[in-house]
Amino acid sequence: MKERSILALVIITLVMLAIGYLVAINVDVMPVAASSRALLVDDLARILFGLATVVFIIVQGALIYAVVRFRKRKGDNSDAIQYRGNNTLELIWTVIPAILVTFIGIYSFRVLSEIEVHSDDEMVVEVIGQQFIWQFRYPSYDVRTQELHLPVGQQVRFEITTLDVIHSFWVPAFRAKRDATPGQVSELVITPTELGSYPIRCAELCGVGHSVMNSLVTVESEEDFLKWIAEQSGVLPTPDLEETGSIPAETEIAAEPAQLVGSSIFGRYDCGVCHVLDDAGGFGHVGPTLEGIGETAAAREPAVDARAYLLKSITRPDAFVVAGYSAGSMPQNYEDRISSEELEVLVDYLLTQ
Amino acid sequence: MGSQTSALKDHFRAGGELGINHIKLGMWFFIASEVMFFGGLIATFLNFKINSPTLEGELLDVTLVGINTFILLGSSFAVVLGLDAIRQDKPRQLAFYLGITIVLGVIFLSGQVFEFRSLAAEGLTLTSSVFGSSFFTMTSFHGLHVLIGVLWASRNFIKTLRGGYSSSTSIGIELFGIYWHFVDIVWIILFTVIYLI
Amino acid sequence: MTNEEIMTAPIRWRRYFKWNTDHKVIGVQYLVTTFIFFLIGGVLAMMMRAELAQPGKDILDGAQYNAVMTNHGSVMIFLWIIPVFAGFANYFIPLMIGAEDMAFPNLNAASYFTFLLGGLVMMGSFFLGGANTGWTAYVPLSIIAPDGQTIWAVSLILVGTSSLMGAINFMTTIVTMRAPGMTFWRLPLFVWGMIATSLLVLLATPVLTTGLILVILDRVAGTVFFDANAGGDPILYQNIFWFYSHPAVYIMILPGMGIISEIFPVFSRKSIFGYRMIALSSLAISVLGLTVWAHHMFTSGLNPGMRVPFMITSMIIAVPTGVKMFSWLATIWDGKISFTTPMIFALGFISLFVIGGITGIFLAAIPFNIHVHDTYFIVAHLHFVLFGGSVSAIYAGVYYWFPKITGRMYNETLGKIHFGMNFVGTLLTYLPMFLAGMLGMPRRVADYAPEFTELNLLATLGGILLAFSTIPFLYNVIVSLAKGELAGSNPWRGLTLEWQTSSPPPEHNFESSPLVTSGPYDYGSAEGAQELLELAPAAGD
Repeated sequence: MKERSILALVIITLVMLAIGYLVAINVDVMPVAASSRALLVDDLARILFGLATVVFIIVQGALIYAVVRFRKRKGDNSDAIQYRGNNTLELIWTVIPAILVTFIGIYSFRVLSEIEVHSDDEMVVEVIGQQFIWQFRYPSYDVRTQELHLPVGQQVRFEITTLDVIHSFWVPAFRAKRDATPGQVSELVITPTELGSYPIRCAELCGVGHSVMNSLVTVESEEDFLKWIAEQSGVLPTPDLEETGSIPAETEIAAEPAQLVGSSIFGRYDCGVCHVLDDAGGFGHVGPTLEGIGETAAAREPAVDARAYLLKSITRPDAFVVAGYSAGSMPQNYEDRISSEELEVLVDYLLTQ
Repeated sequence: MGSQTSALKDHFRAGGELGINHIKLGMWFFIASEVMFFGGLIATFLNFKINSPTLEGELLDVTLVGINTFILLGSSFAVVLGLDAIRQDKPRQLAFYLGITIVLGVIFLSGQVFEFRSLAAEGLTLTSSVFGSSFFTMTSFHGLHVLIGVLWASRNFIKTLRGGYSSSTSIGIELFGIYWHFVDIVWIILFTVIYLI
Repeated sequence: MTNEEIMTAPIRWRRYFKWNTDHKVIGVQYLVTTFIFFLIGGVLAMMMRAELAQPGKDILDGAQYNAVMTNHGSVMIFLWIIPVFAGFANYFIPLMIGAEDMAFPNLNAASYFTFLLGGLVMMGSFFLGGANTGWTAYVPLSIIAPDGQTIWAVSLILVGTSSLMGAINFMTTIVTMRAPGMTFWRLPLFVWGMIATSLLVLLATPVLTTGLILVILDRVAGTVFFDANAGGDPILYQNIFWFYSHPAVYIMILPGMGIISEIFPVFSRKSIFGYRMIALSSLAISVLGLTVWAHHMFTSGLNPGMRVPFMITSMIIAVPTGVKMFSWLATIWDGKISFTTPMIFALGFISLFVIGGITGIFLAAIPFNIHVHDTYFIVAHLHFVLFGGSVSAIYAGVYYWFPKITGRMYNETLGKIHFGMNFVGTLLTYLPMFLAGMLGMPRRVADYAPEFTELNLLATLGGILLAFSTIPFLYNVIVSLAKGELAGSNPWRGLTLEWQTSSPPPEHNFESSPLVTSGPYDYGSAEGAQELLELAPAAGD
């Protein structure tokens, strides 16, 4: 009898190890791995899944076995055989989990130290969170953009900050995430390894537009990256964040048709993140649509003409709130950020829509 | 079931066996939670003191508050003497010591108000800086506890004059004593944390 | 009144709507009120699942979604799971330790009414535009939020204070009111669970109060605790908040584990396996539970060097939890199991809780945590612990003690239908969320990328099943209350003291003071249940 149970134990152990191993090498629940750290994290996840499956099967198996095997027979109202404890058994199920978590702990620690190693030739990218957009600044190229491009194989150090509340910069494909906390510069190191475009998402609730606070990271060859950087340099102003704390308005409102300038201002201040306006690429649903706003603006408030209505709606967003939308959704600081010339042009532009 | 049988039955119960009065035990659990409440405030203060040190601490008048600290210590001592008195069935002595406790408590509070006003005159307020915020929040909550203690002592004072306490019914004084000593000890910790280190 | 008269007497409804110091009345007040809040929280959950069934904006805009999500979380945690255990504890601690009431009956009633007030204030804040920052209410978002946030914070202080009053009362009652012979090592394990829980409440809840007061001061008095521009520290809030809110998870699960430990021996006709280890593991979880809070902050601005110690403590907690799981399995092993509704809910508890427990270890592993933190993986994990775990245990407890509280039996068939819907619904709702989180769906979003549509639709279908599962339960309770067959004092042939008196128990619980001569789970002794109790010598003899 005793030999038989030892044999059974050995067989069960071997079967469990085999199942755990099979699960670990086959499990596929993570998105594309596009950074060197993603591979390490995925290996850890595989081991966790392997071990978890074994523990899961042991517990559920024992439960199901007990439920089937130890049913009460009909009419049997007597008590069961009694035993109140077994020191060996209790020691085993204290020590084995302890060993398992020690192993997981040490392994996690090693992965953690490996994924956070800095190197000397890191490229620094500043990540600036703000309700509800991400901005990226490349100090070495003096470029500021709203989408992220990274050269493949180049280690990057993100320096993450926020202009308002806490956001969390997350690139699932990189398995990397770090909060943007007011008053702090948080760091995150990754090395992209796979060409392609991957979503960037905000992972910390930051207000009404939390779910639209997304962007894109494009991993490309060094050449393409430099080309892209060159294209960007001319396009957007590249202010120094530390001096102003927000984007100053250095615009050249020149000979361009007012329409084009208006739509570029609309784009520059990310109005489109929250408002639909096809002409200027607006797509968001946080705020009311601006299609046809030139006509509707006049009708919204009987006492206010269209121009005044729009001006006030931008500088004092809560002055008029369109039915179905909530006060407090729109940033309150456009008055400080947009120069009065730009504001005029923007309102003129909107009135033509 | 009448209260008399209840009381007799209590004798059989664990509290009687262990010699623990349930009201006093409940008070101690309450004090434990108060310790954690002040712990949170003190941790907040220390967090700012350690991570963003300022020179605003030098505005504080250690001498004045040091005297105030001794006044509060003295009031605690008066409560000890008062409890001792009622255990020997001397309610008039108890009333005397409770009176002293109340007077010293009021002096402490007046000292605190005076301190707050002179700090405000020098520009340190609840909203002026993290030091101001955490200093005033923490000391005000302590002050609030002192105020509650003074009111409690006044109620006990009146009850004493009406002959509400004797050597066998001194639990009310004991409970007040536990509370008052706690408020005192919290102050000693605050004094150390804010003014001395 | 004799036992017979008590058991057949009509229910005296009025006293449940008044200030009443009978712990059994207060227990029922808590149980019924919290269940109503559970239904409200469930409606909020279904609003979210409806919005999330398909991508795009359907029924809620961003602001409404955030308000619904925040109140779902705070209602379920603060107005359902934490206080419902206060309901069980109120009703059963005095009965289980052989006392005639709680140590402080008036404080007990005060604690219920403070809770009720807090709950109503929270509801009020919801209708006043409400908190919309998630139940975590991270600063500075919660500083700039609309006025409802202040009222919401006040409601949490009220509910927290109620919970403190309860904890003081439970601890004092357990220490001083035990009947003769009821030593600490003869306490039922539910009582041990409440000891561990009450200690956590005493030590952790006041710190939440501190944090909320600081938030309120920042909002209304202009203090700058969390204003980074003035040197304030948003991370400080996270430390304070999680110092309470991680222990809160154990506050929500330890009493449930206690209920499970009551149910297994009774329906297996077998003594609990490793009584002392289970009792001590609850205390170990309490103590360790106070040292793990920063594992919620692995991706925040926490000092990176602080992460590893918190990973270690978080992993160690798996050990006492494992001890409990294996001890329960050993308890039913070789037993004579009868599959009553409370028993299958308890078995379901093990099955679901183990998923929440194992994924907890995943989350303690920092590199994995960094990827899934603040995603639907977390949502899935916490619901397996709190819904699969705590709520299963609550349902198990309701069915187990229903005969004792009401004096009548519930309907087994309806109970089993309820279990089936609840179990399948739980798996269907929360399993897809693990996958969504790992694949890249953040939590607390009103909208999501189209690639997550199938997973969300599945979760919504599961949610609908869960919503409907309350129908057989409510029907069962209402019909059984009126027409259920009389239960008698001890329908389960249990050995703990609450079964040794009539159902429902008389006003002071026992006709004469019990004298305890053996442990709570000593099945298999020749004498059987009835003779475990000898009557104490009459008072004053």
